[in-house]
Amino acid sequence: MMMDMKLTRQYYDVKDVVFGEKCAFAHGVLTVNEEELVALTKHLFKAVTGFHLEITKPGENARIVHVLDAVQPMVKVEGESQQYPGFFSTPYTAGRGVTNLYRGFSVIESAALPWDSANASSGLLYPRDAIIELSGFAAGYTPFAGMHNLVIVYELGEGFSSIEYDDAIRLIAMKISAYLAELTRGLTPDDSEQFSLDEEHPELPGVVMVWQCQNQGPYSNTLLYGLPIDNLFPTVLHPNEMLDGCVVSGNYVWPAFKVPTYCHVNHPVLLELYRRHGKDLNFKGVIFSRSHEPSNWHKQRSASQNVKLAQMLGAKGLVMVWTGGGNACTDGMLTIQTAEQHGIRASTLTFEFGGKDGTEGLLLVDDVPEADAVCSGGSIERPITLPAVDRAVGGDTFRLNKESGGWFPPATGEVTIGTRTHMYMGGNQCAYSKMTCVAY
Amino acid sequence: MGLKAVQYINQFYAGVGGETMADTPFTVISEKKGPAAGLEPLFKGEMTITKVVYCGDNYVNTDENWPGIQEQIRKVIEEEKPDVFLAGPAFNAGRYGVACAKVCDFVRRELGVPSLTGMWWENPAVGMYVKDNYIISTPETATGMRKALPVMAALALKLAKGEEIGPARVEGYLETGHRNNAYVAKSGAERVVDMVVAKLYGKPYQTEVPHRGFEQVPPAPPVRDISRAKIALFTTGGLVPVGNPDKIKQAFAVSYGVYDMTGLDALKKGEFESIHGGYDTTFVSNDPHRLVPMDVVKDCVEEGVIGQLYPFFGSTCGVGTNVASGQKMGADWAKRLKDAGVTAAILTST
Repeated sequence: MMMDMKLTRQYYDVKDVVFGEKCAFAHGVLTVNEEELVALTKHLFKAVTGFHLEITKPGENARIVHVLDAVQPMVKVEGESQQYPGFFSTPYTAGRGVTNLYRGFSVIESAALPWDSANASSGLLYPRDAIIELSGFAAGYTPFAGMHNLVIVYELGEGFSSIEYDDAIRLIAMKISAYLAELTRGLTPDDSEQFSLDEEHPELPGVVMVWQCQNQGPYSNTLLYGLPIDNLFPTVLHPNEMLDGCVVSGNYVWPAFKVPTYCHVNHPVLLELYRRHGKDLNFKGVIFSRSHEPSNWHKQRSASQNVKLAQMLGAKGLVMVWTGGGNACTDGMLTIQTAEQHGIRASTLTFEFGGKDGTEGLLLVDDVPEADAVCSGGSIERPITLPAVDRAVGGDTFRLNKESGGWFPPATGEVTIGTRTHMYMGGNQCAYSKMTCVAY
Repeated sequence: MGLKAVQYINQFYAGVGGETMADTPFTVISEKKGPAAGLEPLFKGEMTITKVVYCGDNYVNTDENWPGIQEQIRKVIEEEKPDVFLAGPAFNAGRYGVACAKVCDFVRRELGVPSLTGMWWENPAVGMYVKDNYIISTPETATGMRKALPVMAALALKLAKGEEIGPARVEGYLETGHRNNAYVAKSGAERVVDMVVAKLYGKPYQTEVPHRGFEQVPPAPPVRDISRAKIALFTTGGLVPVGNPDKIKQAFAVSYGVYDMTGLDALKKGEFESIHGGYDTTFVSNDPHRLVPMDVVKDCVEEGVIGQLYPFFGSTCGVGTNVASGQKMGADWAKRLKDAGVTAAILTST
C-alpha cells in the first residue's frame, strides 16, 4: 500500500504530574496550572460553567466516577492535518508526519450530566455512571489504573441540550490535552516508533480489522473527523489515521461497552496487527463501519460492504471488533458470517452473559455457526463488589439505577453492583484487558 | 491413614457378563475389578479403592429399582466413609453413562461425598448431568481406557483431598457451563489476533465462547376467525406507568408488569413512558401507542374486525434479557392469557 503514509510517534514518558505556577513539562514531570487552563478554554464555557482539575497516581487507592471519556494528549508537530483532525482544524487526512504523545498519562472527563429528560434524553440515551478503579481487582479493566491521570471535573449549567453539554465537554478536554502536549514540542522524546504499511509482505496472509462503532444519537455516538457517523456506509481507514485521532468517542450510555478516545487512538487490536505486520501477517488496514444498524436490511448491507472492502484490500483474515452491546453483536456476527462465506477467516472478541455463574441461558446476544473463533472479554453479568477506597475523584456519590428512582451511595464506600455494566471498559470491547471467562 | 474411594462399574466390567446379564442387581464386592484395578496403582499409595459396587445396565436404569439402589449405596457410603466416589469410565455407552452420572450425582448431592465419572463428550448422560458433576473427557471407546485413567486418577485425588479444582481444560473434565471471570496472561487483542492467524495457517484453535444454540420457536398457527378473537398486547419496549411502579429493570429485566387499560380512551403521554435502556424512547414516551397499539386495536374492535381487546397489557424491557428469564416471563404471561380466554396476542418489540 504505497501511499506516503508514514507516521512517527514520539513518546514522552510522564513520571509525575503536579500542580504548579505554570504549565510546563521537564524531566518527565508535567506541571499543570488550573487557572491557565481555565483561561485557555473559557471561550467554550456556556453549557459548561467551569471545571476543576484533579490528579491521580498510578495504582492509587482511589476511583474515578462519572467518567465520560479519556483522551490521549498528543500534538501533531510535523506534517499535514492535526491531532484529532476536524475538531479545531480542517479535516485533512491525518496519519502522516510526526506526532508527539505523552506516555503513561491521560486526560479524563468527569461530569454528572443531567438525568432529567427535559435536557438530557431518554431510555438508552442517558449517561450511566462509569467507574474507573485505580486499584484492586477491577483495575485491570482499563489502562488508566496504571498511569497518571488529569481528571477534568466539570460544572454544568442548567437547561442545555445534551448536544451542547457533549460538545463543550469534549472540546474543552481536547483543548487542554493539545495544550499540554504542545509543551513537548522541541524536546527529545524518550522513545519513538514509526508506523507505515508501505512495506508489503505478500507472502504473508493479509488481515484487516473491522472497527464497528456505536451510533444511536447524542451520548451514544462515535465521531469520525469531527462528525457523528450517522448513516455511515462502511469505509476504509489507514491505521495511522486512527493513531492520529480521526475516531473520537462520544459514547456515555453503557460504560462497559464504550471505548474511550484513548483506546481508539491506541487501539489494542490495531497496535497488535501493526506489531505482527511482516512477522506472521500482512496488515491491510482498518474497515470502519457503524453498529446499531436499524434493520436487517441495513445490517446486511453493512456486513456485505465490510467484506467487499476486505476483499478489495486483499485480506484473507479479518478481526471483527465493535463498541456497544446487543444490537452491535448482531451487526458483527453478520460480518463474520459474510466474511466466512466469502473465504475470509474471521475471529472476534466480545463480552459474554451467562448469568451469575455462567450456566444461565446463552452466552452471546447473537451468534452464527461461522463464529467459531470468539475470544471472551469476560462476563458482564457477574455481580461485582467494589471495595471502600481512600479517595473518589469526580463526585461524592455514585449515580446508579436511574430507572428505579436512583441510588446514590457514597463514592468512597464499598458497593455491590448486580452486573458489571457500570465498569468503564468492563465489556473489553477494544480487547485491551486480559479479562476473560474461564470454563469450569 | 490413606484416602479411600468407592467405585461404581457395570456388570460387564465386573466380569459377570454382557447384555444377557444386564439385569444383575446391585452388588458390593471388595475385589478390584475392571477399571478399579487400573486406577488404584495410579493413586501411588495415597488412596485405596475399598469397595467396588456394580449393577446391570438395565437394572440401574429401571425406575422402580432406583430407590432400592439409593438405599444400598447410602449403606456402603456410611460404612466405608470414602473421600471420593468414582464411576466408570463409561466412554460412549449410553445406559452405563447415565448410570454412572446418576449414581455420582446422587452420592454428591445427597450423601455429600465428592464424585467423579468419565465418558465421551457425546454420551447422552453428559447433557443430563454435566452442569453439577465432574465428568472427565474420555475417548469414544474402551480402547481409550489407558488414556482416561491417569486423568481420572489425578482429579480423583484432588477431589478426595478437598483441593481447589482448576478450569476444565486444565483438569481434563468436560465443561460444566460454569464460567468465571479471570485475568489471563495475554490481552484480548493478542488472543484475538492469535486466533485469526491460527485459522489462516490451518493451526488448531479453540473458541473461548461456545455456542449454546438458539431454540427455534415454531410460529403459532394463524388465528382462524379474528372477528371473534380476544387479543392481548405485550411489549418488550418497556412501556410502564410514569414512575415505573413495578421497578422493572431497564436492562437485564427479570420481571414484567401488567397494566390495566380498563376505561382508558388512550395511553397518554405523561401517564405512560418507556424506561427501556436500549433505544431512544422519546417517540414512544410522546405517544405510547407507537409501542402498545391500543388505539388501533380499539378502532378494530369498534369496526368489528377484531372480537375484543384483553384489558391488560404486559410490558418488560427486552435488552440484555437472559433467555431463561425471558422463557419464565413468557410462560407466566401465556398462562395468564390462557386463564383469561385470550385467543391471540400481539408482541411489539423494539
